[in-house]
Amino acid sequence: MSVSSDASTRAGTPTPPRVDGVTAASIRARKKLRNDRAGYLFLLPWFLGMLFMVVPFFASLYLAFTDYNLLNPPGWIGLENFRTMLGDAKLHQSLKVTFVYSFVSVPLSLAVALGVAMILNRGIRGLPVYRAVFYLPSLLGGSVAVVLLWRYIFGLDGVVNQFLGWVGVEGPGWTSDPQYALTTLIILHIWTFGSPMVIFLAGLRQIPALYYEAAAIDGANRFQQFRSVTLPLLSPIIFFNLIQSLIASFQTFTQSFVMSNGTGQPADSTLFYNLYLYQKGFTEFDMGYASAMAWVLLVIIALLTGLNFVAARYWVFYDN
Amino acid sequence: MSIINSQLPETPPDDEDTYLERSAGSRRSRFTRHVLLCAIGVVMAYPLLWMISSSLKPSGIVFTDLALWPSTWDLSNYPRGWTALSEPFSVYLLNSFVIVTLSIVGNLFSCSLAAYGFARLKFAGRKLFFALMLGTLMLPGHVLLVPQYIVFAKLDWLNTYYPLLVPHFLATNAFYIFLMVQFMRALPTELDDAARIDGCGPFRTFWSIILPLSLPAFATTAIFTFISVWNEFFTPLLYLTDPQLYTVPLALRQFVDSDGQSQWGQMFAMSFVSLAPVIGFFIAGQKYLVRGIATTGLK
Amino acid sequence: MIRMAGLSGLGLSLAACGRGFGGGDDDAEGDAVQLNMVWWGDAVRAEKTQAALDLFQRKHPGITVKTEYQDSQPYKDKLATRFAAGEPPDLLAMRTDSLREYADRGALLDLSQHSGILDLTGVVENARRLGMVGDKNYGVPSGLNSIGFVVNKTLTDKFGVAIPDGNSWTWDDLAAFARQVTAKSGRKVYGTVFEAATLANLMVFTRQRGEDFYTADGKLGVTEGTLVTWLEMIEKMRTEGGFPPPGFIDPSIGSSPDKSYLAKGTVASQIIPTNNFLTYNKAAGGNLVLLRMPGEAAARQRGQSIDTPALWSVSSKSKHPKEAVTLLNFLINDVDGAKAAGTTRGVPANSTIAGEIKATLAADDRTATDYLIGLQAEKLPPSYTYPIGSSKLYGILSSLSSEVEFGRKTPAQAAKEFLAGARAALAK
Repeated sequence: MSVSSDASTRAGTPTPPRVDGVTAASIRARKKLRNDRAGYLFLLPWFLGMLFMVVPFFASLYLAFTDYNLLNPPGWIGLENFRTMLGDAKLHQSLKVTFVYSFVSVPLSLAVALGVAMILNRGIRGLPVYRAVFYLPSLLGGSVAVVLLWRYIFGLDGVVNQFLGWVGVEGPGWTSDPQYALTTLIILHIWTFGSPMVIFLAGLRQIPALYYEAAAIDGANRFQQFRSVTLPLLSPIIFFNLIQSLIASFQTFTQSFVMSNGTGQPADSTLFYNLYLYQKGFTEFDMGYASAMAWVLLVIIALLTGLNFVAARYWVFYDN
Repeated sequence: MSIINSQLPETPPDDEDTYLERSAGSRRSRFTRHVLLCAIGVVMAYPLLWMISSSLKPSGIVFTDLALWPSTWDLSNYPRGWTALSEPFSVYLLNSFVIVTLSIVGNLFSCSLAAYGFARLKFAGRKLFFALMLGTLMLPGHVLLVPQYIVFAKLDWLNTYYPLLVPHFLATNAFYIFLMVQFMRALPTELDDAARIDGCGPFRTFWSIILPLSLPAFATTAIFTFISVWNEFFTPLLYLTDPQLYTVPLALRQFVDSDGQSQWGQMFAMSFVSLAPVIGFFIAGQKYLVRGIATTGLK
Repeated sequence: MIRMAGLSGLGLSLAACGRGFGGGDDDAEGDAVQLNMVWWGDAVRAEKTQAALDLFQRKHPGITVKTEYQDSQPYKDKLATRFAAGEPPDLLAMRTDSLREYADRGALLDLSQHSGILDLTGVVENARRLGMVGDKNYGVPSGLNSIGFVVNKTLTDKFGVAIPDGNSWTWDDLAAFARQVTAKSGRKVYGTVFEAATLANLMVFTRQRGEDFYTADGKLGVTEGTLVTWLEMIEKMRTEGGFPPPGFIDPSIGSSPDKSYLAKGTVASQIIPTNNFLTYNKAAGGNLVLLRMPGEAAARQRGQSIDTPALWSVSSKSKHPKEAVTLLNFLINDVDGAKAAGTTRGVPANSTIAGEIKATLAADDRTATDYLIGLQAEKLPPSYTYPIGSSKLYGILSSLSSEVEFGRKTPAQAAKEFLAGARAALAK
């Protein structure tokens, strides 16, 4: 090493330039180079990972305009895939299923999460126990074991129908009736409210009790306090969770697959978009079409996220 | 956007006293709260309890015996379920275990390196790359499915574990990088300066100083990775063909196969076996999990 | 200490799933040839298949067989992957409705070129045709079966309902029988249940009305009228009570015999593939009666046909085609092998062998075998391979029949949509 780092960090002593022609500037330049090298070295796995993500990202855009089945080279067919999508009834059905699922289950689960978080936030003995009981399902909700369990809980003679029978309601065949099958998955999603709940709880705890006291002094009742203190201060967190949850729910696969054994039954009522994509791309090997489907979903998600950001201006409160 | 707030927010200490301090309302309102929360808790826990209870009953009465406490006990569901599928369940458990362990190793390795780079090193383009990394957090992964599959197919890696493991070694999961970055940023920079004075290069600093201090973040990463990879269904489904290579989720699915002759009791028994590690990790690492998602969710 | 345990555990794991890292060896040491064989089925079939394979390996010391099985749904999903990704298996089970897809792509070996090794003289013409496309032979039936109606005599005796004569009954007779059972049991047991969408059932019905489900040139031959009548007949049975109400068939139950409604005792009769008669009878208490399909006697042409649950095919890219065909020949023509393999896949395709092993079969298997041998002796419509795209038809019909079941579509609408969808699927 030609530059001693000691010299530059000795407090208060300006560094005289070395006499062998190396200037302070070139010292800095060499240090910068070393720093850059170090940085890039540490980031090397990440760079490779990014390559592994960025290249496929554009590759799938290319594939969307081709007809490709993995065995023969891709053949350019222009907008043909998209034209087929316009007439594909199963695709429309899968979009409908996915939309209904997302727009019903996400707001509901966030509402429940917020509600329970607020109850917990008011202080209660044994809170960690409650929190654990509510949070654990969210770790298990995406597992095959739980979705299988759900199939049997909601079977024609499953526990749910037996409980309904006690209150005199004749439960439908949840898993065999196309009208109700999706509902079981929505209920499953709401069962996993624990994860956003923990986030909301942490966020609620950050709101100083002071604000509530001030609002109470001003004569606000609990509901008004919620609207004027809780909601605005929590809104960035709610917003972020809303977006993350929506994006995630649009990519639901496991629940759909396991509930219907990969078929989307009954009558395609549980045929989520990603399941149909999987069928098209990886069992029928129509990979061009699957790529087109992937990009359509991406655009839809981007639009939705964009819309959310626009709407955010009206209800999300940033304290900057 | 204040969402992308790089400062770690001060979360108050996580103990019961803080809550009791704020315990508001009369005894009656506290009581109603308890009742309500208990009711919700029971509804939440019931499916899992029913599953465990059904695994201890003979298959014939699973749907007729409503009580959670089995009227007839049948412990044979566990040994019989163990051998009910095409391979003994231990094979699937071992497969899952290997994949999960290697995934954790990969994540810790690649994400800690990247996080240190972002948190502690200065280099050209750092801000841009950091923003890029955060961007991938929001990227819907499904759009990468087909090309990545093609890449693996051409590499002849279909029906092997490589497609499941390689992404973990390449720091593709920005969630963990971000988690670690937040944590490392909170470590005092004097440590780095001291290390530099002692003549440590960035790698020594990373290895001897930052790494040992980042263990909580690593613990969180390890636990989250375990839970998400253990439960993972789609990627193994996509890449694994031979049943001998199946992970636990794929194996479980075999219980509902149309040709299979296994019983419900056995399926619930093996379901419980498959969920037990997750529950175990949860109980042991709850603290890390809660802190982990609170940290990233609160940005 | 923990580290030691951890390391040894790790070692075991790595050994166990070394295959997961591409550690599998394709060829055993020396000159021994290793064949890779895949098929779908369950543990029982696996046991018997392995017994047959052990015999084969003893008779052919230079060949080892590595075999693997899985359920039919994942097998179907992953079959294309097996061909797309490098090493296809040497011998594989092929679905009759997917044969053309793979054969036409050149993925399967033309077995007629190996007639020196593969002797098909014991297989009747009708059975042989199941795997033939023109003059080329792409698959040999692994066993022969047909569909049949099973009735639980214990239940019918309990409720005092007479079982109609299997050789002459009509669909109306079935409806009447089912109605009676439901009524006399106070709706605790339903007379009959079967899937409207199972193509094997529908094909029998179609042929009885004088149509061919698939025409000789691979188009859809069933008419809208037949479809409407089929769906309406089932709905009528449902309204009358012979058929269970909508939602009764729980898709999460799967279709294995011991989880069937027959086994539960909630229906008195069902349509099953004959090769499963043994397992159904065992699950349902041992008192099942096997009848022919209704409507055969009065029909325009016979509805039933000789089918196979799966064909054995050899991949064209197999590295050891001769050995694979040798194995295939063994499975078809070796008496000891047939005795070991049993009848989980149906009656042996080679009728001589079928006769020879009859004595060693369990009683129920003999019932099923007699049933099939009886059918084989009759003049039945010819069998043929299904056209490309036929594997999609079940999914289309299943959706539509679900909607009819719940009253969301009329049979007329469903029939129209099915024809449109099916024609589009076959046209590709």
